[in-house]
Formats: sequence, structure tokens, C-alpha cells
Amino acid sequence: MEDQKQKEEFFPKIVGYLCNWCTYAAADLAGSSKMELSPSLNVIRVMCSSRVDYNLVLTTFFGGADGILIAGCHPGDCHYDKGNYYARRRYALLKSILETLKLDPERLQLSWISASEGKRYVDVVNEFTERIKKLGPNPINRNAYY
Amino acid sequence: MKTTTAKSLRVSKKEGVRKPILAFLKSLLTDAVFDAILIPMQVPAGDSYAWVLVKDPSLLDQANPLAPIMPVQGAKALKSLTRKGEGNLKIAAVMRPCEVRASVELAKLNQIHLESITLMSVDCPGVLPVADYFENPGESEKRFNAMLSENRWGNGSMKSVCQICEQFSILPSSDFHFGLMTGSESSVVLISSSPKGQRVLKDRSLDGSVSLSDWENGIESIRQERKKERTKRFREVQSMVEGFDGLLKTFARCIGCHNCQSACPICYCRHCYFGSEASKLDSDFILKKAEQRGGLSFPLDRRMFHVGRMSHMSLSCVACGLCSDACPVSIPVADVFSFVADQTQRTFDYKAGEKREEPLPIRQYRLEEIKGVEEWVKDAEGVES
Ligand code: SF4
Ligand code: SF4
Repeated sequence: MEDQKQKEEFFPKIVGYLCNWCTYAAADLAGSSKMELSPSLNVIRVMCSSRVDYNLVLTTFFGGADGILIAGCHPGDCHYDKGNYYARRRYALLKSILETLKLDPERLQLSWISASEGKRYVDVVNEFTERIKKLGPNPINRNAYY
Repeated sequence: MKTTTAKSLRVSKKEGVRKPILAFLKSLLTDAVFDAILIPMQVPAGDSYAWVLVKDPSLLDQANPLAPIMPVQGAKALKSLTRKGEGNLKIAAVMRPCEVRASVELAKLNQIHLESITLMSVDCPGVLPVADYFENPGESEKRFNAMLSENRWGNGSMKSVCQICEQFSILPSSDFHFGLMTGSESSVVLISSSPKGQRVLKDRSLDGSVSLSDWENGIESIRQERKKERTKRFREVQSMVEGFDGLLKTFARCIGCHNCQSACPICYCRHCYFGSEASKLDSDFILKKAEQRGGLSFPLDRRMFHVGRMSHMSLSCVACGLCSDACPVSIPVADVFSFVADQTQRTFDYKAGEKREEPLPIRQYRLEEIKGVEEWVKDAEGVES
């Protein structure tokens, strides 16, 4: 019962690393079009999804964020030609580690959202938030070890 | 296509395999096939080994191509040798297969120049954990030698990573190989598998009528045993380390000395991110975390450091086990890292150090791969489902 209650009250903290050239613009578009959006996402603007290195993701994860969203341009549309392909490989590596160690790999997501996809941005954020809500708080926060 | 040539060295039962190998290496120095040979050599006190770049052929008498321990990874020695470029000397490096693999990875990371180096690998029975060896070096030498001469491979006193190593023999990436596991026990097979390796066998008057099948069968049967053991051990490691609590339990006694990182041949960064100023957290953040979690334990990076290091080096990890040897609080670092590395390398269908021409997985990409990033499905190339 207690657990159930806690889960209901749980409001996730999600960190979003958004590419300046596409997803960040999509977020802007969603805002200026007054679309409704879960306020769970703390946006950090990066110049490319490939800027998001392992240390950045892991600091966020071990720092206690409940979810991490990396979002960039669709394959083929990278502002720097191929940054998102490298981002995808790094993401695959991180996922593989989190999966192997069973550290809730679902808390990490990579999405492709172009500048014109304001609606898609809203859907991705809302769906991801729902998923994290179901997962509950990041277990890393359960004890005193970083 | 690679050209492979094989010859053989006679071995008398009494002498064992070391003497004929050393005599052969000596002839390569005296005939100026090489200008120098990098090889492990017993230290003067007789209680450890060091890498020595040998110019004087007579020094080779104290060398040991099959040292019972690996206090320094050979790739590290080779790295310091070619740190400032390739140099003019023709050098042979006599190494264990995991050292050859680490050298190849470091070459891909632009840390080693292999142009003037001939990589010579030796069939490897494994090495002893340094801590065990240091308890009684004399005894350990005897134990190791007995095991070698009696052909008792897969011995349980070797390091745990050695016991499950499948790449303990010839590699596509080495230039030259010494095969020890001959069924008859009366010869060492010499295999050259690259133009550089060919230079070594050219003009040597050696027995050229070798059949490799005995040796190949011997290697294969050990490999099969190791494979089985590997699956079993990985399952044990997995149940130890998995989950947030498993990871914490495994690394909670870590004192944050980062010895595992400094001993690692792959961790080449001159300034490691972990421990750097950039990795430090500000005190407000730390206080807030302490408040959230009820307290905060130091050193701060107990879990983050290890998972971070996995993300940086696991694709190139050769499972040499130096990290476990280096850990002052006996954490089975290598067991965990080799298990994770096995998985991450599988994700990209990559085997660290096996092929020189294969680029590092994170330095390349395919246009169509890793589909459905949004619901992570294991569909990266080569992944088993
Ligand atoms: S842990 Fe990472 S940053 Fe540190 S030395 Fe290894 S690869 Fe470099
Ligand atoms: S060597 Fe051992 S104690 Fe030191 S950082 Fe590595 S795991 Fe921790």
C-alpha cells in the first residue's frame, strides 16, 4: 500500500540533452504552439547529439536523474553530417553496459526529433515520462553511495 | 590473403621449451634479423619480471618468454618504446597473446607505432596472480615450470581470467607465433603469418616438414574446455554484480585508488577523466545529495568510476587481468570487466585486438543499424537474442 502511494506521488526528474539544430527547435515550436507537455524534462541544449559523451550520461545517471533523454536529428539530417550516427553507436554501447549490469537500461532513451516535429517532441516526452513513472525513482538514490 | 609458413624447433624433454626458443631468438639477434628484442626478464633478485629491450644477445640467457607472472602488460612497455614515433630499429616483441591484442588496440588508438615492430606471440598457459607468486617466488617458479613441462594446461592456480581465455594461441593480428602445444611434446612450431613474420623464417635452417594438425588439435581441445568454463563463470559473475545492489556490493570496498586504471593497458589517457578537476562535484550539489539520500559516502565515485571506465575501455578490453592484480583490496575487477567487455564487444561483433584492419566500433558506423532506438531492441549487428 505504502509503495503504491509513493509511486503515485512520484514525479520523475528527467534530463534531456537536446540537439540545438533540431530537437531544441522542436521544443521551441511545441512551446510557441502552446502544446501541453509534461514538465518532467530538464532541458540541456547541446550542439549535437554526439556531444553527449559517456561521462555526461553517467554523471546524470549516478547523480540520481530518473531518466535521460538524448534527442537529435534523424539519421541523414545531422547538421554536422554524421554526428548522430556516432551518437547512436555510443548509445548502443551504454545500453549494452546498463543491460549487462541490469541497471534499468530503460531509463536511457535516444530519439530522433526534427525541428518541425513539435508534436512528436511532446509525444516522446510524455511517453517517456509515463514509462519512468511506472519504473519509479532511480534506485541509485536509495543509499549513500554515489 | 596472408601467407603462412611453418617450421619447427626440436625440444628435448629435459630442457623444456624455453631454451630452444631463446636460442632461436639469439640467432635472430646475431644474424641482425632484428636490432633488439623486447622480452620479459627475471629481475636480479629473482622474485619478479621486467620488460627488457635486449641488444646484447648474451643477455637473452636470462630472458623468459613464458614468465609465470605479468607484472606489467607488454603493450604498456611497447607503448613507452614507441611513444615518440616509430624509430629506426627493427624490433621484435615477444609477448603473450593478450599483450599482442592490447598492442593492436593501442595502435588503433594511435598510442603505439607498429611499423618497425614484429609482434611475436607465444601459446600461453596463463599466468599466476602476482600476489600468489610473491608469497614464495621460488616455489611458484617450480610449480609453474612443472605445469609447463607436464603439459598440464588449464591449471586452476592461474589467474581467473586466464582460466577462461579463449584467445591464448595464434592470432590473425600477430606476425609470428611460437606454438607449444605439440602432441608429441618434442617440438615448438614456428608460424609466420605476415610479411614481417616471413622475414624471420627466411634463411633459417630449420626443420620445414611440420604438420600443424597435432598442435591445432591440442589448442582446439583446450579452447573447447575453456569455452564451457567461460560460460559458467560469466553466469556466476553476472549474479554477483548485476543490479544496483550487486554493483554496490561488488565495489563497496573500493578505496578509489584507481590502481586498476593505471595498470590497465587500454586506459592510456594522460589525464584520466576520473579524478580530474572536470569530474569534481561542487559542494552544494554534494550537500544536496547527502540530504536526499540521508548521507553520502566518500570517495564519491565508487560505482560511477567503474561503469565509466567500462564505457571508455571495454570495447578494447583484452581481459589480461592486470586490474585484478593491481587491486589492493582484492576486488575481482577483471572478472567483472571481462564479463562486461564480452557483452559490449558482442554488441558490435568486435573482438579486441584480433584483427588489425578492423576499426574501433565507436570510430565507425553503418547508415542502417541499431534500429528502433526508442524501444531498445537488441538488434545491433552480431547480437545474440
Ligand atoms: S578511465 Fe577513461 S579517461 Fe580514465 S584513463 Fe581510462 S579511458 Fe582514459
Ligand atoms: S584498484 Fe581496487 S580499490 Fe583501487 S580503484 Fe580499482 S577497484 Fe577500487
